[in-house]
Amino acid sequence: MAEPYYRANVLVCGGTGCTASGSAEVIAAMEAEIKRRGLQDEVRLVHTGCRGFCAMGPVMIVYPEGIFYCQVQAGDVPTIVEETLVKGRVVQRLAYQEPDTHKALPFYKEIPFYSKQIRIALRNCGMIDPEKIEEYIARGGYEALSKALTSMTREEVIEEVKRSGLRGRGGAGFLTGVKWEFTAKAPGDVKYVVCNADEGDPGAFMDRSILEGDPHSVIEGMIICGYAVGAKEGYIYCRAEYPLAIKRLKTAIAQAEEYGLLGDNIMGTDFSFHLHIKEGAGAFVCGEETALLASIEGRRGEPRPRPPFPAVCGLWNKPTNLNNVKSYANIPQIIVNGAEWFSNIGAKRSPGTAIFALTGKVNNTGLVEVPMGITLGEIIFDIGGGIPKGKKFKAVQTGGPLGGCIPAQHLNVKVDFDSLKEVGAVMGSGGMIVVDEDTCMVEFSKFFLTFAQAESCGKCVPCRVGGKRMLEILTRITEGNGTLEDLDTIREIAKGMETGALCALGQLTPGPVMAALRYFEDEFRAHILDKECPAGTCKALVRARCINACPSGVDVPAFVALTAQGRYQEALDIHRERNPFPLICGRVCPAFCEQKCRRGDVDEPVALRQVKRFMADQEKDHPWTPPKKEGPKDKKVAVIGAGPAGLTAALRLAQLGYPVTVFEKLPVAGGMMAVGIPEYRLPRDILNIEIENIKRAGVEIRLNQEMGRDFTMDDLLNGMGYSAVVLAIGTHKSRKLGIPNEDLPGVYHGVNFLKDVALGKKPDVKGKRVAVVGGGAVAIDAARTALRLGASKVHLIYRRTRGEMPAWEEEVHAAALEGIQFHFLTNPVRVIGTDHVTGVELQAQQLGEFDASGRRKPMPIEGSEFVLDIDLLIPAIGQAAAVECLGSCGDISFNRDGTITVGPDLATTREGVFAAGDAALGPATVVEAVAQGNKVAVAVDAYLKGQKVERPKYVTAYHNVPQVFNMDDYADAKRPQMPELPVEQRVCCFDEVELGFDEKTAREECKRCLRCDLEWVETMGVEAVTQSDKDAVAV
Amino acid sequence: MPKIKSLEELKKIREEAQRDLRIRTETGTRIIIGMGTCGIAAGARDVMHAILKELERRDIEAHVETVGCIGMCAKEPLVDIEQAGKPRVTYANVTPDMVPRLIEEHLVKGRVVQEWALGRLESTGIQ
Repeated sequence: MAEPYYRANVLVCGGTGCTASGSAEVIAAMEAEIKRRGLQDEVRLVHTGCRGFCAMGPVMIVYPEGIFYCQVQAGDVPTIVEETLVKGRVVQRLAYQEPDTHKALPFYKEIPFYSKQIRIALRNCGMIDPEKIEEYIARGGYEALSKALTSMTREEVIEEVKRSGLRGRGGAGFLTGVKWEFTAKAPGDVKYVVCNADEGDPGAFMDRSILEGDPHSVIEGMIICGYAVGAKEGYIYCRAEYPLAIKRLKTAIAQAEEYGLLGDNIMGTDFSFHLHIKEGAGAFVCGEETALLASIEGRRGEPRPRPPFPAVCGLWNKPTNLNNVKSYANIPQIIVNGAEWFSNIGAKRSPGTAIFALTGKVNNTGLVEVPMGITLGEIIFDIGGGIPKGKKFKAVQTGGPLGGCIPAQHLNVKVDFDSLKEVGAVMGSGGMIVVDEDTCMVEFSKFFLTFAQAESCGKCVPCRVGGKRMLEILTRITEGNGTLEDLDTIREIAKGMETGALCALGQLTPGPVMAALRYFEDEFRAHILDKECPAGTCKALVRARCINACPSGVDVPAFVALTAQGRYQEALDIHRERNPFPLICGRVCPAFCEQKCRRGDVDEPVALRQVKRFMADQEKDHPWTPPKKEGPKDKKVAVIGAGPAGLTAALRLAQLGYPVTVFEKLPVAGGMMAVGIPEYRLPRDILNIEIENIKRAGVEIRLNQEMGRDFTMDDLLNGMGYSAVVLAIGTHKSRKLGIPNEDLPGVYHGVNFLKDVALGKKPDVKGKRVAVVGGGAVAIDAARTALRLGASKVHLIYRRTRGEMPAWEEEVHAAALEGIQFHFLTNPVRVIGTDHVTGVELQAQQLGEFDASGRRKPMPIEGSEFVLDIDLLIPAIGQAAAVECLGSCGDISFNRDGTITVGPDLATTREGVFAAGDAALGPATVVEAVAQGNKVAVAVDAYLKGQKVERPKYVTAYHNVPQVFNMDDYADAKRPQMPELPVEQRVCCFDEVELGFDEKTAREECKRCLRCDLEWVETMGVEAVTQSDKDAVAV
Repeated sequence: MPKIKSLEELKKIREEAQRDLRIRTETGTRIIIGMGTCGIAAGARDVMHAILKELERRDIEAHVETVGCIGMCAKEPLVDIEQAGKPRVTYANVTPDMVPRLIEEHLVKGRVVQEWALGRLESTGIQ
């Protein structure tokens, strides 16, 4: 029986929530009112169940208009009936209003991830139910097909695609329209349309997402293509590993057939087109078009030489048009919106958008569609949200295993077919794998080579044998057994493969290796020459990531394990073998080891620096006398500068038996440790303990001895009888700002300021307004020192943002806590004052393009100048070596940045003279200076013994400290906080801020160490720790 | 299902489909779950079951729908809630144990759970 026809339906919620807020009364009132107005034959009243609008209840919906009323009360009913049911108007006061909590949320287009995206091929993905053709149609689906079939000739369709400039999205970038034309013009009645959905690159999932999220767009594109080229049948070649994509494609094909959009006489025309799915078994080579076609035919998936191209001789030797999933998905939009619309998006020669699967070390992994011509940096940093955990961007691999990597210096490259080619990379089909500083590029390229090599079909020799040989070489290099000749061999094999291989797989297989070699050759050389993996991933070369990360190579797990057992003296001995300053470094080291600690991958890194400090503090009162390693020698060595590099070099040479004299210009020893690092971070008595240790090794330190004033280089090497000289003069000269008026009194350079404070010449800062310029350690130290000297206000001016500050994050945090006011993205342009500084003019900056370091360059904003009133300006934007003293020593060359030119053996251009530390490296850290000191000592020793060492290496043995507790007990242990002096106490004095761990905390913290060293010993099969070792410890 | 024979018939189906969608979005509750491979791998199926269970427990009628990947794979499982003409609010990294609170706060109390919400889309999926 047919239902009576009602012109309106009134739905009232009868759920529990709405009933509680009075919906029963509303229903009763509505019933009565309908009856009273005689509307019972026109309007039906329906009780519905709860729809979850309880907060707005009782709710009422009036169909067919779909008017939504909320918080309706019985008293509102007559108005609703009068206004809505009789007059057809909406009662505004009852209509739903959006609550404020919703408005607080950003729209998608305001989220950085989406703000730079333009969605053409992905327009429906995530928006529609892919299993419902109606939802596709609701968003304009199949309009393009009907437009093409009913109002365009085949030639017009091809012409439209040609004019759009669409280039093949499979990676090669061939013009799609031209390809269609070839197929259309090829002789023959039977033609095919094939879609390449054999997406096999590691880290690529663009095609899968389209097939899963919007299968109809691909189907529609293929039908249009079939119409244009004159094909009646099409195949989608999709790998069987994509079961969901295949399932949704099948559903979509069936639905399109039901609607007559696919099959015979599409939309009532005489055009018929049938679509089949061919499931591929997952061979990577089947992504190559001729291999793919062979596979559809049921033959072995092997490529064949081209020409003939598939457009002429393809599937079953018939003309075949083959495009990628993304190319087809673009077609409907081009037909509907026209070629002009499409060609106006993106870059001139690469119109439209590019779809990338963004993966790897990037915050927002996912699928993005961006206009062609966007820069690589925008994709990775703006859309991708940058690198997780504040690590440094290293490179991005495009084009998957057949592409190449692009390093930080090319972040400004435009992403389109041609620009990417210029930097030696390829667009590829859309995989984009981001890697950070922790990725070894040798290992990374080996990964891709392993993949491509395994996927080689074996048909042609260059690919089959070349790939295998190249992989053997790379494996050798990652194991530390490579030679420099290997690099030449790699290049030679690559050339052979590129020219000799049959298909793209073989020709492009060397791509990732060649790109890595092009941009990261130093890393290859480090593996070969130094047997080191700088990123710390090559298993054979890296005992533990912490050891590898420490510039001076301290055996971290060993001293941590011994500290856990309370064996501090032994722990310290191990530490001092490589770094004689555990007391100092326990306080001031930026702890490169912690940054790479594997525990940090699980929760937080082990508090290595703080544990070190605890360990060293325990033995403060037991002076260390460095052991002699070789007998006494006659040849004397002079070290210029008593900083960490000079003192370490002196110590190591003294341990080898050489008489060593250190000449220091200042009245104190310690270099920057004494006159750079403020006392609240490194108390002088602590520093002096470790300087005394060095003296105890037999090193003589002469203070107030300035080169060029008290003696010259010639004096040292001739009259004074030194056989070798180590220049460890540091970088004590501050770089100038380069702005007007900067020589005015009241401008006080950071290094000088800190030095004067350290030497007791306390600058008058009390009550003054101070501005420090810079973002490094010196800037932060100067700012915090000024505060402690009683400055009324301290500003810190930095031209970039906080995340880009080179200063140690903990220091920046502490400075902010102590009340220093940061001005980011500002730069001084002029010092103001007539006979003394009264202010500084600042200019706001904005971040522009990326520089070679991968950071965005600050660019001035014209007209944004403003004045900050100050009494003292402290520039701290960088340092150089104070080389004036070397003026007299001749024959020594300098680099453009003011450092001393040295070779890999740290020898300067003058015979017998070496350089180490900041003077050779540029401003660095204590631990890096120590590493240089160790190394230069080896170089000097070799020189004095008449040996030739090209790459000196300071070698000590590792210690296998057994594990004596159950590691599982510490699986959930948390990293403790370092106790600190309260802020109000610390800002008025120079007392040490960090208070140190107590014994229990420190020893327990040590047990969070995952002991990567023992794992390495075990997997590498060398001297694994035995049970008897453990028993020995237990006794 | 009738075969589409002309542009007009296609338009008719489109209008019907749009009306159906509009009714669902303007007068009902849609809960939309990202069910691409990325979503499923991140646990979207369990989330969907939890949603269905919670709706049943509370006896709430809602359209539970699935969509493909919207691109933010790192944030999967993504669950969008669109209620009666309000913007479509996206929740990220949803787990089954978050579901009862989502339904309680967002549907029943009408408040967005700010700490889980990622963003919003203009009301209705129709362009």
